[in-house]
Amino acid sequence: MSAISEAPSSYRHSAVRPSSLALLREAIREIGSRRRLIQYLVQADLKKKGSDTLLGNLWWVIDPLLQMLVYVVLVSVIFVRGQDDYPLFIFAAILPWKWFTSSIQDGITSVVSQEKLIKQIQFPKIVLPFAATTSGIVNFAFGMIPLGLLLVLFYGNRLTPNLAFIVPIAAVQFTFTLALALFVSSVNVFFRDLGNVVRHILRLWFYLSPGLYAISTLNDSAILKSHPTLQAVAEANPFAILFTAYRSVIYGSSQPNLPPGPPAWEGLVGLLLGSLVLLALTTLVFKRLEPSFAKVL
Amino acid sequence: MSAPAEVVPGSSTHAIDVRDLGVRYNLRFTRKTTFRQSFSGLLRRGEGAKEFWALRDVTFRIVHGESLAVIGPNGAGKSTLLQVLAGIIIPSAGSVDVRGQVSSLLTLGAGFDLELTGRDNILLAGAFLGIDSGEMKRRMDSIVQYADIGEFMDAPIKTYSSGMRARLGFAIATSVDPDILLLDEVLATGDATFRAKSKIRVLELVRGAKAIVLVTHDMNWVTEYCNRAILLEKGHVVIEGDPAEVVRVHEERSARAKAERDAAIAAGRPVG
Repeated sequence: MSAISEAPSSYRHSAVRPSSLALLREAIREIGSRRRLIQYLVQADLKKKGSDTLLGNLWWVIDPLLQMLVYVVLVSVIFVRGQDDYPLFIFAAILPWKWFTSSIQDGITSVVSQEKLIKQIQFPKIVLPFAATTSGIVNFAFGMIPLGLLLVLFYGNRLTPNLAFIVPIAAVQFTFTLALALFVSSVNVFFRDLGNVVRHILRLWFYLSPGLYAISTLNDSAILKSHPTLQAVAEANPFAILFTAYRSVIYGSSQPNLPPGPPAWEGLVGLLLGSLVLLALTTLVFKRLEPSFAKVL
Repeated sequence: MSAPAEVVPGSSTHAIDVRDLGVRYNLRFTRKTTFRQSFSGLLRRGEGAKEFWALRDVTFRIVHGESLAVIGPNGAGKSTLLQVLAGIIIPSAGSVDVRGQVSSLLTLGAGFDLELTGRDNILLAGAFLGIDSGEMKRRMDSIVQYADIGEFMDAPIKTYSSGMRARLGFAIATSVDPDILLLDEVLATGDATFRAKSKIRVLELVRGAKAIVLVTHDMNWVTEYCNRAILLEKGHVVIEGDPAEVVRVHEERSARAKAERDAAIAAGRPVG
């Protein structure tokens, strides 16, 4: 009855519709039994991203720095505003955001890009978005290099052991990212223009999240003050929680001016629980759609 | 034709048991390009419809030691049938029971990662097929030897010629030792020398496997290596039985269909 390809025999009946719980268990088993495949896929992805460019994987270090520079020029030179140590202030948001967007964008195409293989052999498709999201972790880890450089060279006063809290914060972000990646990778099989839509949603999401500005700036804005519901939405925004958490351990706070400290755990725990529920739901969506992949691709 | 009828339902002697199998495609979600490639013959007929049955009411059973040929015109559902047997497509109606390790040589070169070396691709393919990595490393030498592409083994696949890709794909696909072998026109790849070499390997696998399902347009293979055959047309089984008989019916029917098409063209009517 098992759908795993290495099972020596299989019986498939059109009337058999597995329960949600069975599907979830199957998904966990598939990820566990195909660790090696995920590892190879991640390695292949990293190798590919490093080749064909002059500087190779060095781009993972340079890219966030350049992006930070663009925002610094835009905000502190043109708009003449910003916080103390603004480069570090926004760098704490750029790094996790780059990780998130690249994981989602790789996730969207992860299933569709293996079209040929899906039509020719039976394997658990869930490993594809899982590997795409996992290889993003490496990308994020490389981003720690420029962060370390910035702190050591320019902002030594903000260098604290609180940086270790990045790990649990990143774990929460990974859970949330994985949940969304499973969803977009499966839906993209049916609607190929999803990538175009998502690109714009992501851009808007970033500007609405307190990445370039502090969350207090958002809360002070006229529109949020007059609409309490909007304010609740803004505070529940996963990236409001994540950016604020990263910023408090890397940068501290600008208003009032505080050194780095531990993040606000309530928000993170809430986000983790919400992400786990979301992950269960999107895993189910993925597993329900999976049988149709070979037909639609 | 005699053996399968005698098998008691539910007995363990069968390798494949297909009952009332139907595969339905939902046309709203199937891109026309893919659809056109797969079912070119049925495209015009299915247009406007919301769904399409690639296979309908297909029932057959294969016991150990049998080799079944599946023949029929393009778009008859032959490849869909293999996909169902390989577990890639789940039946929309009926049931499929496959007992034993299935390997399909459909996999020639599919899923190669062009940026990776041949060696990395062997490991990747093994991981996709669900083969244990230690086992795959043991097989590595024989695959490398069989593919016979020399130093290219450590170069990215994108530098390979199409012949080299086919050879590596074939070497990986045939490195397995399956109970049930699914073959889909595998001999049409590579240069003449490799074709001859690959034919020998396929025959070895055919002899070693407990059951075989072969999709082919080469009627010599059907009569030479198969002890049973079914003819599919538009998703339905037209006839099942002795290979020579089925081939004869197929050739008759395709000759008649061709004559009708020619007549239609001559009369200036649209073909369809």
